[in-house]
Amino acid sequence: MLVTWKYRPRNTFIQRLDPRTRFLFMFSVIFGLTIPEIWDFRIILPLFAISLTLYLLARIEWKDVRRVWIFIFIFLSLIIGLNALLSGRGGPSSVTSIPSPVLFYVPILDLFGWMVPITISKAWFALNQMLRMLTMAILAIPIPYTMDPNVYGTAFKRMGASDNVSFTMDLAFRFLPTFARDFTITVDAQRARGYEMEALKGGLVERIKRLSPLIIPVVMQSTVTGEEVIDAMDLRAFGTSKRTWIKTLTYAPRDYFMLGLGALIFITCCVLKWGFGIGDYFVPDFFTAFFVG
Amino acid sequence: MNDKSTWEFGTRQVVYGAIGAALYGVFSWATNIFPLPAAGNITFRPAIAVLIFFAVAYGPWVGLLAGFIGNTLGDGLTGWGFYWHWSLGNGLIGLVAGLAMAGISDFKARGDIIKAVGWGIAGIAVGMLFASLTEMWVGGIDLNTALFGYFTPAFLGNTVVTVILLPILMIAFAAVASRRGR
Repeated sequence: MLVTWKYRPRNTFIQRLDPRTRFLFMFSVIFGLTIPEIWDFRIILPLFAISLTLYLLARIEWKDVRRVWIFIFIFLSLIIGLNALLSGRGGPSSVTSIPSPVLFYVPILDLFGWMVPITISKAWFALNQMLRMLTMAILAIPIPYTMDPNVYGTAFKRMGASDNVSFTMDLAFRFLPTFARDFTITVDAQRARGYEMEALKGGLVERIKRLSPLIIPVVMQSTVTGEEVIDAMDLRAFGTSKRTWIKTLTYAPRDYFMLGLGALIFITCCVLKWGFGIGDYFVPDFFTAFFVG
Repeated sequence: MNDKSTWEFGTRQVVYGAIGAALYGVFSWATNIFPLPAAGNITFRPAIAVLIFFAVAYGPWVGLLAGFIGNTLGDGLTGWGFYWHWSLGNGLIGLVAGLAMAGISDFKARGDIIKAVGWGIAGIAVGMLFASLTEMWVGGIDLNTALFGYFTPAFLGNTVVTVILLPILMIAFAAVASRRGR
C-alpha cells in the first residue's frame, strides 16, 4: 500500500499559476455565485465555460479522475438533480411559486394519494442547480492533481495566515508519508499475527472495535514522535521571531490577469444582482416552448 | 501530559495540530480503501475518533487545525478536491471537542472519558450542522436534504465511531503518557 499524492508536474498554464491565484480565483467564483444568489443561466453558463476551460487546461488524464467523475455524476444527478426535480427546493422560492405547466406526476406515496407534480420550472431548476454546482466543483477537482503539496504552507502564509498556522499545514504534509508508512507497517504486522483485514466479522460495534489494533499503535507512536519534534523545534527557538520560508511565491502577469478576472466575476455578479436586479431565477421561453410548443 | 491553558498556541499545538491532521488524512484515506460495512447511507469514518482524541488531549487549536487540514489532506489524497466548508466543519468538530481539555485530568477515569465523549459528540453536532447547512448555500440543497440527507447520517455515523473508539484511545494514551512522564 503506497500513499501517493495525485500531483504530477505537467507544465500547463494552470500549474504555472501561483497557488494563491488559484485559491482566490476559486473563491471568487464560488462567492460570486453564492453571495448574491445567482440563479440566472445567462450568468451561470459563461462561468461554467470559464471553469471548464480552466479544468481542460489542467490536462488531467481521464484515468486519474474517472472515479471522481463517477462520484460527481452520481452526486449531481441523484442527490442534487433528483431532489431539485422532486421538491423544487434548495433555491429561490420562485421555483415553486411561479405558475408553470405540469409535465407529469410522480406517485411517491400512491396509497395515500400523494402525487408530486413535476413542473417545467422544477425541471429547469434541476438543470440550473446541477450546472451551478458543477461550475464550482470543476474548479476544486484539479487542485490535488495540479498543485504541489510543498507549497500549501507557503501559499497560506502568503495569503495572510500566521506562521504557526502555515507551519502546521506545512508540517502536516511532511508527516503524511511517515504516518502512512507507519500505518502500512502496522497493518502488515497485525496481518502476520492473523488479523483479517478484509473480513471484519461481528456486529457494527465489534467491527469498529476491531479497527483499534490498526489505529492505536500508529496514534500512540505519533504522540511520542511529537514530543521529540517539539524538543527539536524548541531547541531551535521556534516561535521566538518571524519565520522565513524556503519556497518563495511571486505573482507573474498571468496571475494578475486571473486575479483581475476573479475580481471582475465577483463584482459583476454582485452589481448585476443588487444594482440591476439581474440574476434571479426564471424559466426561459425556449425551455417552456420545448415542452408545451 | 498537557498544560491546562486551553487557548495557548505554541510549538506543542503546531506539532500536534500537524500530527493530528496527517493522521486524520491518512485514516480518512485508508477507510476509503477498506470501507467499513454500513447500513443505508450512514457513513463511518473511524478517523473522526482520532481527530477528537487529539482535540481532547491537546486543545481546541489543535482540534481546529487537525480537522481543517486533515480533511483537506484526506480529500486531496483520494483526489476529491478542496471543499472548504466540509474542511471547516471538521475543524469545528475539533475546536468544540478541544474545549474538553481543561476539564480532563485523568485519561483513564470514567468521568473524564464520558466528558470527552460528550464534548466530542457536541463537536460533531456543531461541525456537521455547519457543513450541512453551508451546503444549502454552496450546493443549493434544501433544508430537508441538509438535515436528513447530510447531517443525520454524518452525525450518527461519527457519533457511533466516537463512542466506541475514543475511550480506547484515551486509555491507551494514559498508559503511554504515564510511561513517558509528561
